[in-house]
This record gives sequence, structure tokens and C-alpha cells, in this order.
Amino acid sequence: MSSLTSRRRVLQWMLATVPTSSILSAQLARASPSVSAAVAAETVRILMPAPLADATAPAVRLFNRRHSETQIAVTRGPLDTETLSDLASSSLLLGDSPFDLILMDVSWTARYVAAGWLQPLEPLLGQDALAGLVPAAKLGNSFGGHLWRMPLSGDTGLLYWRSDLMPRPPANTSELVAMARELQAQGKVRWGYVWQGRQYEGLSCVMLEVLHAFGGQWWDGQAGRTDLTSPGAVEAAQWLVNLVRTGVSPPGVANFAENDALQLFSSGQVAFLRNWPYAWQLIQEENGPVTGRIGVTPMVGAPGHPGGGTLGTWGLSLLAGSPRPQAAVQAIRWLTGPEVQRELVLSQGYAPTWASLYEDEELKTAHPLLEVQYEGLRTPLVRPLTPLYAQISDVLQRQMNALLTSNLSPEAALERAQRQSDLIVRAAGAGVVP
Amino acid sequence: MTANLLPLLLMVPALLLLGVVFLWPWAHYSWLSIHASSLLTGLRAIPNGGANWQRLVQDGRFWQDAFQTLRFAGVSVALELGLGLLTALILHRPSKGRGVLRALVLIPWALPGTVMALGWRWILNDPHGPLNALLQALGGGTYPFLASPATTWWFVVLADVWKTTPFVAIILLAGLQSIPRDLEEALRLEGAGVWSIFRRLQLPLLTPYLGLALLFRLAQAFGVFDLIQILTGGGPAGSTESLASYAYLQAIRFLDFGYSATLMLATFLILLTLSLLWLGGMRWSGVRR
Amino acid sequence: MMRLLLLCWSLFPLLWQLRTSFLVGDALVGEGGGSPWTLQNYRLVLEGDPSLGRVLLNSAILGLVTTALTLMLAVPCAYGLHQLKGRWQPAISMGLVGAALFPTVLFFLSLLQLARWFGLANHLLALTLPYAGLSLPLAILLLRAAIHDLPPDLEDAARLDGLNPLQRLRWIVTPLLAPAMASTGLLVFLASWNEYPIALTWLSRSDRLTLPAAMGRIASSSVYAIPYGPYAAATVLGSLPLLLVVLIFQRWIISGLTQGAVKG
Repeated sequence: MSSLTSRRRVLQWMLATVPTSSILSAQLARASPSVSAAVAAETVRILMPAPLADATAPAVRLFNRRHSETQIAVTRGPLDTETLSDLASSSLLLGDSPFDLILMDVSWTARYVAAGWLQPLEPLLGQDALAGLVPAAKLGNSFGGHLWRMPLSGDTGLLYWRSDLMPRPPANTSELVAMARELQAQGKVRWGYVWQGRQYEGLSCVMLEVLHAFGGQWWDGQAGRTDLTSPGAVEAAQWLVNLVRTGVSPPGVANFAENDALQLFSSGQVAFLRNWPYAWQLIQEENGPVTGRIGVTPMVGAPGHPGGGTLGTWGLSLLAGSPRPQAAVQAIRWLTGPEVQRELVLSQGYAPTWASLYEDEELKTAHPLLEVQYEGLRTPLVRPLTPLYAQISDVLQRQMNALLTSNLSPEAALERAQRQSDLIVRAAGAGVVP
Repeated sequence: MTANLLPLLLMVPALLLLGVVFLWPWAHYSWLSIHASSLLTGLRAIPNGGANWQRLVQDGRFWQDAFQTLRFAGVSVALELGLGLLTALILHRPSKGRGVLRALVLIPWALPGTVMALGWRWILNDPHGPLNALLQALGGGTYPFLASPATTWWFVVLADVWKTTPFVAIILLAGLQSIPRDLEEALRLEGAGVWSIFRRLQLPLLTPYLGLALLFRLAQAFGVFDLIQILTGGGPAGSTESLASYAYLQAIRFLDFGYSATLMLATFLILLTLSLLWLGGMRWSGVRR
Repeated sequence: MMRLLLLCWSLFPLLWQLRTSFLVGDALVGEGGGSPWTLQNYRLVLEGDPSLGRVLLNSAILGLVTTALTLMLAVPCAYGLHQLKGRWQPAISMGLVGAALFPTVLFFLSLLQLARWFGLANHLLALTLPYAGLSLPLAILLLRAAIHDLPPDLEDAARLDGLNPLQRLRWIVTPLLAPAMASTGLLVFLASWNEYPIALTWLSRSDRLTLPAAMGRIASSSVYAIPYGPYAAATVLGSLPLLLVVLIFQRWIISGLTQGAVKG
């Protein structure tokens, strides 16, 4: 180990002596006064996806004004969840991560814990850190008896509907399709329903909801394997692909992420949209053709089955190598605290995690969606809690996207997804785990 | 030996760096490929015998990606050679402003792959990109260029052909210009046409240049990464994923270093086999001539 | 006619990016009235985090240092290789050809490991080590071909004057190699400017990003609008320096490429 450190020192020394590098760093320091001013104080460096970095910017500014010895510096990462995770992973793999905190998607927790990259938070935040949260927001933060993540938002997938075209939202999936087709037949909308069908994490979120809606499940936690060949799962995949094949959803939905779906919906050409809470705020502010003409409801199930929305929360985690855990926890407390979350509800429409905010009368009036969000959080769907999640999610995305863009049968696509997931679960531990 | 001492000393610094960059990785990958080093081992390397290689054989995705990579490399290099030859012949004809034309034609090759991959993503955008605008203006509907598993790889090929044809063209132009002018003139005086000159004189003399361009481009196209990563991300439905992007995914996203190293070794072995076959073929055809 | 077609094919995608970069978002998706033209996209990428100006500066510094380091290592090595007698020379040359052809992306995992061991992450200039290493095979081959082409009498005369090999390298060979070094250097610079996978894995701090690594991050901020305007502005600004390099130095770049073809 000591030889490692000395090698490292020698190289770093060599790098430091290269004249251009000192010129460059001097220039960099001059170019960003905020960084150099904060050098005296302790600076907590946070990696966030760009939209959340923008959303929390006022709160960060406020914090930096109020505190002199602790400052927060946010790095804006890529928008796409998995690309952001790639960035975080490479920085952690390299050691000496330039971040203290990472704003993580709920689906990363198991992976990052297994990699040994996080520090438990309960010694710093206290055993009852999650006590005031709504039950759903507590999910996906703890693993192996430790708290690894403090949630900042309590978002779930929601169903958006056009209140100018229908008196009430559909009660189940069959009604949704029937209503959509009728509106299409009447020529009131071009398309019935848009959602996220691109090969990326968003498709896994959609699929988790549809699986649940038809009584299926993605992951069998007891058996430690995926469960994609049940009759419910086949029905679910059939329903989803039929949306495309019967023209309720446009063929392009197979390449839609959240923004694409939202853009089409807000142009007034669609009856239903699947999206996260933030979409409501954007539509309200946009002053477009559907502003003031939408309703929101929790995701519906098939007739006789309960519905539920995928839990898509973001939360702050402390990296294992951070040299300033105390300052970092101060930042966590502030950014995930009720005061900031209240602001985020009003300015961005993110669902809060604190139970008290859902009872705040003033907030309820200012943000009518709060009640729907609360209801959505009563039936949250958690993505499989396994370190191998990224792999099996990737398999499901590929097979589902293949199903949506070909004339494959749902049975065949799911069968393939199941087989590949089994191989991953088996192979990952082969020769090591008995 | 003493005569070689100084030359060898002069080479030492460069050879050291070359060894670290080009040789050490293979030792490292070989070692990793017989270890489990993934999330389930807490990223520590634990020997697991041939489990990674067993997995590789059963992994349909590896075989699919190997096929896709070969298909991409084969088709795009064939197109690049054809178009590159055409471009070289056009540039070879004497004319005013040939230097400027040559520089302008070279531009796509010089630009970063990532930059132009973004450009193509916009050009191929459905429905707002210029290609779809053109289709609509012609009275058709829009086409999901980047969202149909059967055809999207063709547009990845298009972007690659656009970028690397100039490189092939410049190599071939050098070959054309190494052919003495008098030979061309002599044939022309015999009454040979453009096509005949090309077939009887230029093509045979260009063969070594074509061979070189082919080998270089095949090897590079086999490692295609930047373009895939930015243009399609491997989608739709994994239909454009290459071996390099799969190996990257296994390491950085899935954190399975043992398997990622195995994938890269396997890619290397495929490439090595292909190169040896190609060299053998060149030698064989050389013997025959 | 054929020439015109060729030019259109080569330049159309670039010109389209140029046009796109001056359009407002609404105009891109075929909505909105008013003037569609704007400089907003450029302002966005230049003031963004990371700023494109910083990114271009990073890439330029990295490219220059890489080029210098590569030449410093490659010139003596090429000279040594040229002087080498016996079986070693063809063996090393073959190895270099193989290495020059190799798709370097496959090394990223091992290079990541090296960066971890030696603490090289997020040091911009540390990247010059792998970059120089990856550029060396081609550089050595090109320079050796150039040394091979030098008139032998010059060196013989110098030898008779009593100059030892090191002095000959310094005072006779290196000055004569200047044109070959220029064209080799340009190719190395281009390769370093365009390299993606290693920059992607070695750099995570946004103030250290190089152009290819930044392309994925710049302008990915907006959730709602399609960010193709800013993307296009970034591609235009990222292409301009290279455009200039190619137009000004095209002769040398082409001679570098063709040297490689003729001698390789």
C-alpha cells in the first residue's frame, strides 16, 4: 500500500511541476471565483442530474448565504439516469472521487451499497432519520440494516388525463383503452395514450406498473430471480404492445422518453399520458393548448386488480471516501428538509417525502396535485432490490423494446428476458457464490 | 550487440510507455478474465476458474453483438472503399482549386466522432430532423430512423461512411499519384478509355493501398464505440450495440470487471483471427500473381 | 458536377448544424412565430457548466502537450529503430504496425485501473500519458520512414567529422525531420483532440472535461425543450478550431497520412 501511495505521490509531483499545469490551474481558479472564495470554508461537492441541480439552485444559494464555514457546490450531471450513474461510477472507480454527496435514483441504492461506495447515514442522522416520512418514501433507502440514502423527492408514476375531453379519469386499463379509442374515433385526439417506450430505464418503470396492474411481478424476492413468465406478466406485455399495434399509442412511442411523451401530450393531440409529477407543473406554466385542461390520477390497474405507480425518488447519499461527513450531513439535512421540499413542491411540482407537508393546508391550496401525489404514494411499486438491478433492467428494456418494434409475441419476448435474467443471476455468482 | 546498445537505449522510453499501454492490458485482462470481480464480490477479484468464459459461450447478447459488429464493420468498410475510390478518382483529375477541394473533403474525417454523432442524431430526428422534413415534403410520412431495429444500423453505417470515406480517399489518392503519368498517357494514346485505364492500370497498382486501407479501417470499425454511444446508445432493442459498447457497459454500468475483461479478450481474439486470415489471403493472392 | 456532389455530401451535415445553431427551439420543432434566428444557443453553451470555452482550452492544452510528449519520445525511438541491426528491427516494426492498427477503445478498462493506482484521475495532463502511448506506434513508423528517406551521405559526413550518434540525432537528423515531425504532430494532435473513451472514464470534474467528453454533458440540462439548438452550437464551436487546422495545414496532414500509407 505504501508503495502505491509513494508511486502516486511521485507522479502527482511530476504533474505538478509541469509548468503549464500550474498556469492552467491558476487560470481555472481565476475563472471561477465562487470556487476559490469557498476554499477557506469547507465545500460539500454534490453531483446531481441537471434538472434537479437547477431546481435546487435557489436552496443551495440560500444555504451558502446563511453558512460561512460550510458551502455547497453542485456539479450538473447528465439528464439521463443511467448516464449519470455511469459518470458517478467512473469517478468512484478512479478513487479520489471529486464528490462528497451524490443525488441518487432509488434504483441505484443496492448497486452502490454492494460496491462499497457509500457510508451509512444513521450514525450521523440518527436512527429515526426517516421517522417523519410518508411510508412509501422510506422504501429503497435502507439495505442490510443501514440507512444509505435520504430521499429528497417522493415521486411516483402518474396518469395524466384531459379533463376537457372526459368527465372522469378511467377506473382501469380497459376503460383507459376504450375511452382513448372513442376519442380517437371522434377525431378529438390523434393518439390515445403516450408513455415511455425507449430502450432505457423509463421503459422499466412503465413495465413495472403494467406488470403490477395485471397481477404479475417482475422480481420474486424470495426466490431471488425474475418472474416474467407468469400469466399476469404475459397479459401485461400483451396489453402494452397492443397499445402500439392497435394504434392507441403512436409507433414512435418505442423511441419516447419522458420529454418526448410530454411534448406530444402538451400539444393537445393525445388523451392520456404516463409521467412523473413534475410534468404537471410544466404544463401549467407553459400556457399551451392543454394548460388548465388536465387531470391527474394514480396509475390504474386491470379490472379487478389494484393499480400502482413506480417509485422514482431521488435521494442524497454520502460517499465512503468523503473527508467531510459532518459538513455533508449538514447539506443533506438542509436539502432534504421540509423547508426546501416545500419550495420544490411550489416551484417544480416534485412530490415531498415529509408526511407533514401533505397536511399543510396552505400548500394543498397552492398545489392541488398534492392530494393525488399522496394517494399515489399509498401504492408505491419498488424496482427489484438487488445489486444486479442494472443488468436485469437492461435485459427487460431490450426485450420489451424489441417487442414494441417487431411482431414478436409477448410470450417469446418475456421468455427471452427471463432466460437472460436467469443467466445473469447465475453467472454473476458462478464459481464464487455456492 | 554493442552496436545495438545505443539504438536500444534511445528506444527505451518509448518502448516502456508502449509496453504499459499496449501489452500490460492484455496481461491484466487475461488475469481478470479468470476472476470474478463484480458487485457480488464487493469488486474484489476472486478466482472463478473458467466461469466467465462459460458465460460468454452461453451469452446470446455477446454473439448478437459480435454479429452486429462484424456486419457494421464489413458493410461500412466496403462502402468506404467504394466511395473512397470514387472520391480519389475525382480528386485525382487535374483542375483548378484541387487543393481547396481536397481540404474541404477531408473535413469530416478530422472532426471528433462524438461531435458529429450528435449532428447526425439531429439530422435523423423523428419527426423534426431535416431528413424527415424532406420525406414529408415529398408527400410521405416520417420514418423512425433511429427507432426501428431492422434498419437503424444502416444509419449508423451512413454516419461512419460519411466520416471515414475521406481518410480512405486520401490514402488511395496517394496511390493514384504514385502511378507515373506517362503510363496513363501511353494507354490513352493507345485509345484506352477512362474505364479501361482504371481497370488495366490504376486498379492493379492500387491493390496494396486498398489492402492497407481495408485492414486499417476494418480494425478501427471493429472497435466502434463513440458513434454508437452517442448516436443510438446501442438501441433500439440492442440492435446497434457493438462489442466495445457491451464491454464498456459491463464494466462501468454493471460493474462486472471480470466479464468485461473476458469480452474484450474475446473481441481481441476475433480481430486477431480476422487479421491473420486477411494477411494469409493477401500472401496467397500475392503468390498467385 | 461530380465535384459539386462530393462537396454537398461532405459539407451538408456541417452546414445543417450551422443553420440549426442559429435557430430558436420553437422553430426547430416547427412552431411559433416571430423571428426564428437567435444567438441564444451560443450564449447557452458558452456560459453553461462546463463552459465550452473552458472545454476547448482544455482540449487545446491537452493536444499540444500530448503532441510534444509524443514527438519527444518518438523521434529518438525512430532513430534508434533505424540504426538497429539484425532481427530486432523487423520484429519491432511489425509489432508497431499491429499496434497502430489496433482499436484503442479496448484498453479503457486497464487504463482506468492504472489511473486508479497512480491517482491520475481528473488530472488533465495525466491524460497525455495514455494519449502519447496510443499515438506512438504511428508516430514512430512515420518518423522512421522519414529518417529512411534522408540522404545517407549527410550522416556519413557527420560521422567522419567525429559526431557521435546522439550528436548526429540532435544536430543533423532532428532539423531535417522538421517537416515529418510537423505532419506527424498534426495527426497526433487530431487524435488527442478527438479521443473519447479514455477521457470519458478518466475525467469526472466538469472543469477538466475535453471536447468529446463534454459533448455528452453540455446542453443536456433541459427536461422539456429539445436541446438540439445548443447541441448544434456546441458542434459548430467544437468544429471550428479543427476546420482551421485542416484548412491551414492540409498539405502536412495529407502528407502524414500518405506517408503512412506508402511506407506502412
